Amino acid sequence: MKRYMFLLLAALIAVCQGVNAQSLTATGTVVDSSHEPLIGATVKVVGQQGAGAITDHRGQFSLTTTQGATLEVSYIGYVTRQVKAGKGLRIILSEDANMLDETVIVGVGYGTMRKSDLTGAIASVSAKDMKQGVITSTEQLLQGKVAGLSIVQSSGAPEAGASIRLRGGTSLSASNGPLVVIDGIPGVDINAVQPHEIVSMDILKDASAAAIYGSRGANGVIIITTNRQGGDSEQNTMQYNGYVAFATAAKKLDLLSANQWRGYVRERGVMTANDYGAADDYQDALLRTAISHAHNFSFSHAKKTSGYRASITYQNNQGVIERSNMNRLAGSLTAYQTGWQGRLRMDEGINANFDSWHPVDSRIFERMTNVNPTFPVHNPDGSFAQQPGVNTENPVELNTNRSDDQKRHRFLAYAKAELDIIDGLKYTVNGSYEQNMTNNGLYKPTYARLEGQSMGGWGQRTYGNYTNKQLETYLTFDKQLAELHRLNLMAGYSYLNNVYDGFGAQRSGFDTDKFLYNNLAAGTDFKQGDVYSYKGEATLISFFGRANYTYADKYMATATIRRDGSSRFGDNHKWGVFPSVSLAWRITNEPFMAATKGWLDNLKLRAGFGITGNQDGIGEYKSLPTIGIAGITKNADGTWKNTYAQNQNPNPDLKWEETAQWNIGLDFSMFNHLHGSLELYLKKTSDLLWTYPVPQPPYPFGTMLANVGDMENKGFELTLGYNAIRTNDLTLDVNASLSYNHQEITKLSNDQYEAVGLQAGSLHGLAGMSNMYAQTIREGYPAGTFWGPRCRGIDADGHYIIDKGPNDEGYYLGSAQPKWNVGLSISGAYKDFDFSVAGYGMFGQKILNATRMVLFDPNRFPAENVLDDAMTSGITEAPVYSDYFIENGSFFRLQSLTLGYTLPKPERLGLSRLRFYVTGENLLCLTGYKGLDPEVQIPDNVLSDPGIDKFNSYPRPRTVSVGINIGF
Amino acid sequence: MALVSCTDLNETLYDKLTLDDFKGDKSSVLAESFVNSAYATLRGYGAGTDEGNGVNCYPTCEYVFFTAECASDEACIPTRGSDWYDGGRYQQLQFHTWDAQNDGVTSVWRYNFVGVSKINAVLSQVDQTNIPAAAKTSAEAELRGLRAYYYYNLLDNFGNVPIMKDFNTDKLPANASRTEVYQFVESELLDVIPHLSADVIYGRFTQNVAYTLLARLYLNAEVYTGTPQWQKCLDACDKVKGYSLEGNYKANFFIENEKSNEIIFAIQYDHAQGTVGNYLGSMSYHYNQKYAFSPEGNWQWSGNGICAQPGLYSSFEAGDVRRNCLMIGQQKSAKDGSNVLMDNGEPLNYTEEIENFTNAKQNEGARLDKYEWAVNDQWERDNDWVLMRYAEILMMQAEASFRLGDTSTALNYINRVRARAGIEGLTSLSLDIIDNEWKHEFVFEGLRRTTNIRFGTFYNAWWNKEADDIDHHTGIFPIPQVELEKNPNLKQNPGY
Repeated sequence: MKRYMFLLLAALIAVCQGVNAQSLTATGTVVDSSHEPLIGATVKVVGQQGAGAITDHRGQFSLTTTQGATLEVSYIGYVTRQVKAGKGLRIILSEDANMLDETVIVGVGYGTMRKSDLTGAIASVSAKDMKQGVITSTEQLLQGKVAGLSIVQSSGAPEAGASIRLRGGTSLSASNGPLVVIDGIPGVDINAVQPHEIVSMDILKDASAAAIYGSRGANGVIIITTNRQGGDSEQNTMQYNGYVAFATAAKKLDLLSANQWRGYVRERGVMTANDYGAADDYQDALLRTAISHAHNFSFSHAKKTSGYRASITYQNNQGVIERSNMNRLAGSLTAYQTGWQGRLRMDEGINANFDSWHPVDSRIFERMTNVNPTFPVHNPDGSFAQQPGVNTENPVELNTNRSDDQKRHRFLAYAKAELDIIDGLKYTVNGSYEQNMTNNGLYKPTYARLEGQSMGGWGQRTYGNYTNKQLETYLTFDKQLAELHRLNLMAGYSYLNNVYDGFGAQRSGFDTDKFLYNNLAAGTDFKQGDVYSYKGEATLISFFGRANYTYADKYMATATIRRDGSSRFGDNHKWGVFPSVSLAWRITNEPFMAATKGWLDNLKLRAGFGITGNQDGIGEYKSLPTIGIAGITKNADGTWKNTYAQNQNPNPDLKWEETAQWNIGLDFSMFNHLHGSLELYLKKTSDLLWTYPVPQPPYPFGTMLANVGDMENKGFELTLGYNAIRTNDLTLDVNASLSYNHQEITKLSNDQYEAVGLQAGSLHGLAGMSNMYAQTIREGYPAGTFWGPRCRGIDADGHYIIDKGPNDEGYYLGSAQPKWNVGLSISGAYKDFDFSVAGYGMFGQKILNATRMVLFDPNRFPAENVLDDAMTSGITEAPVYSDYFIENGSFFRLQSLTLGYTLPKPERLGLSRLRFYVTGENLLCLTGYKGLDPEVQIPDNVLSDPGIDKFNSYPRPRTVSVGINIGF
Repeated sequence: MALVSCTDLNETLYDKLTLDDFKGDKSSVLAESFVNSAYATLRGYGAGTDEGNGVNCYPTCEYVFFTAECASDEACIPTRGSDWYDGGRYQQLQFHTWDAQNDGVTSVWRYNFVGVSKINAVLSQVDQTNIPAAAKTSAEAELRGLRAYYYYNLLDNFGNVPIMKDFNTDKLPANASRTEVYQFVESELLDVIPHLSADVIYGRFTQNVAYTLLARLYLNAEVYTGTPQWQKCLDACDKVKGYSLEGNYKANFFIENEKSNEIIFAIQYDHAQGTVGNYLGSMSYHYNQKYAFSPEGNWQWSGNGICAQPGLYSSFEAGDVRRNCLMIGQQKSAKDGSNVLMDNGEPLNYTEEIENFTNAKQNEGARLDKYEWAVNDQWERDNDWVLMRYAEILMMQAEASFRLGDTSTALNYINRVRARAGIEGLTSLSLDIIDNEWKHEFVFEGLRRTTNIRFGTFYNAWWNKEADDIDHHTGIFPIPQVELEKNPNLKQNPGY
């Protein structure tokens, strides 16, 4: 309604002023809702034939018209607007939710499709919707943005990545990370390209979409596009983006301060307490306000026949723990050109990425809780003080003394050629080479309490190298047949070869700490195994094809098939076939829907079924009876000699994990303001890989990797977008996603392998809890289910009343997997200000707060530190694992809050864009969880033991960054 | 990219071998290494290895040794606060209330059966190589001898275990009776002895080792089968040649104990060669023992665990050099001779007494101080682990002779052992006296449980232990629950 009023007003003004028509040169800039210039937008004068202009690379236009004329500004995919002609206009176009489906091109693997033609469940995220603020790893861009895609940041360390899981995951023992495809190259590191370069990410969620990637598609596929296709008009850009960020730890453990400790000692008359007289806070001594900064500079040139883009990023990220930091230098150069009368297009690109970081020794998190709070960090002479005792090494010393320098170089190069053979028939060949190198040095000096001292200094260098060579080639046939039929066919072959190799050397017994790890020859003690090298290789060969048929833009059908052969598979299952089929029906294009045209813009029903695989869990050579070094033996002559023996139980039946998935989806948009999708899915994974315990005897090794179990995930996902306000001065968009997943392990045994429950969630390493497990993987329950005793209260003596359950088998204590995932983002602009708020949450999961379990021991007092509330809990005994320490892990995090200001007339400074912004991250986390942070890391992204907070949490930062975007 | 490779999925191995690499190997270097690999199995496996599979299986330490020791009357692992509770594992061993879930029991099973399976695998591999027939025969004899050693342990600890002679992973084995296992060990040893080396070769399975093992088998035959074999024991002992008692008892436990002339069979260690599992000392001394051992206080970490049961220390005569295997009293700083303190400020003064087994003080219990330590010890120690030494032959001869009624011969043997220990000879004997001598001579050598059982004292009440059930089912351990679950053909031992 507001919009109509506005138009009416504009028209009125136009009429009034039309009386005394004078010539006017109307100028202005057309931008999108995030103030990015729209290049190539059409500006026409209403009622004046032939008068019009196209915006240039700065989004600017200039045309001659009369005073009071009305301009109509249009751009494909955006809502057309009319404004009064004037000088220096700034015209904001908002996206047309309805139109987008027709115009948005979605990567589907080995080609693209119009969003409106899709039959599978594919979510697309464009750059402007991705996470704001500090990005240290590319997957963070998607956190909270896609329904069904759960991303957990593994820790607050600057070098930490995140684990990604789609629709509950499909594997107990292998990574649940999706396959990443960057510019058509599958299986590459998601960090191979700079976040700035990413134009869009398409997430293939269901099997009918992902099956084109066969044995690697079961966890979904993220298709990342950085290619920028040139249009009819020439575009040149030059940009600088930079920020400075300030971060502090969002939360600290509530340990006793020195004064609280003294208070309890006095109050309780503790005779054995040793007051060392200091009041240093060990957490404070380790924490700092971290200052990070990042700079990105890029320029590009694009037109239809050629283009290039160059970009370079430097990032210096400090962690909130002293000394923890990561530096990144990343650069990319991409170019394309057409030739042979436009029939041939070549794309080439190089991405290089150099990371170096200093990780913290994670043992500091436990040590800082063990130290008596009155013990000083430093001796009067400035050296580190050392409290006697076990596991009480000064955490500040531990954090300071060692030199742990890690470097990673990523390199990705590709060349791609596309040839139009005849009309509609295209041949593509894509060759790529990826290399990831790690190069680390570690030195523990002679005075280091842990390890270094007893070994007289210990130095290590390690080098690892991973290469990924691929050749993919395919034919595409895309043709509109007659008026109503559209056919798209694709068939191809792919060859992939991975090689990993590396070596390392370590030595101890140094006379001086001066060399660090730079002169290992100076070490005097040398042990067997101190030098080593390794190498392995895997090959994956595939044939694949896809047929897509659309009739009258109403009925669509897609079928895909892929045949994958992997060297990792056992002899009995070298090749697997992965088919899929899906259908879609665009209901709103039916004649009988004419009545709803007024409000229902689009309604599309989709249904699909497909089979995908996951081969991540199979290491190289796992199916073979390999023979390796089997210990060393002393010969009769007194010399030691290596021995060789079989080193694993071979399994010639080893194969991929297979997931069959049904998906029903509904896309809708209505009132031109509200759009969304609803997805329902059922995933059945079979042949789950697990390292099964096998009987000893007859097996020499206690385990064997085998495909045995089954698992089911079902759920729904709802994505909603609401363009709440669209006026010239104010826009407001709300995007929300909601997903629910229910997981159940349906089978763990077969004729050959039997498991009643697989032990998971190890508590090993906690005092008095060696070889104990908190979780059991059991049929009928999700992975990550806590099992154990219930605490029925605390008795008069302060002991836990432990109920071990029937037959001492424990009780079901809940699952660590969230039932609900929620994402919410609100963005908008008012005049020259823009803002966005984004948050995400997970609900229904349990966390074992093992950190609290250990620290909730009143007997630690007074020798060691203890949680404040443990002192008053009335409990007198050492902690026992029970549901007493299992907490509700639900949370909602205010992920980021950004406020930006764009200079209204940047051209006055000769610029095309100048924007300043402030972003706050992790400003608020709503949760009842008592630990440091409810987002507990998922080691290796496997399903086997999530949800255990065990002194492994690098504190999550709260960050405020100030940044600038300049377009030259 | 050549088109020929376009569907080639063969795996190329770069840092591993396959059996094909051993075929046609005339030099037999690799084939010999197969046999040698069986000796490497003696050192056991860590919990993190595929063999240990979650349970430490070190014969020197956690938990194979711990289990043997804690079930006997000489050692225990008291619970000290929350330390060393570990799910009640060690309390069960102390109270003789172990169940099939006890990791210590699992460890003993796993250590020995992994050894058996690995040797069976090696036997089948050696068979497929092309080494000369004579070399093959002697290799097989050595391997079968080592397998018999593992089977002797299984016979002693579990009794009714499956007999596995072939490397066949398709069939799940079923239990054999204890008598059958006894007969298997006996016949295997008798079978291979002619093909074993008659020389004294340190650390290898020779005829001497086979005879010592045979003597051990016969010494305990009554426990295993109901029929005593004292004479056979004596006969086997007589075959052991080439060894003598070391003048210094402790020389058997030196870092360089491979020089001992007394050791018949040992597991060899050298940390520089990457051997693992040998860190018993660190499992016994108090955390702050490092200040007594090294002026800088940088001796290896130690964990304040296993110690002697009260009464053991005082059962030794004062002049008995073997009493030094127990560490007791105030520890003095290696730097300045001052008293080493515990973290609570109290002096580190090891006491014989342990007031409360389930919540012991840090300094309670005499410590195991048998194997030599050095200031520059690494975590992995270099002392070889003694499995058999000549004193055991003498003690077996003494006991078997006495049991056969020949007290004077028995006295002759036992007094040789006592003389070396620096204590006076005996003039009369009883089973109790012999039992006591076994206890002192082999203190903390892992033999005590077997000896307790042979003398029947195993089932009696002792310090912090009530008398065992009348059915004496505790004389063998239960078959580990994890194995029963994986193999339906296995039957649990009676009484569990």
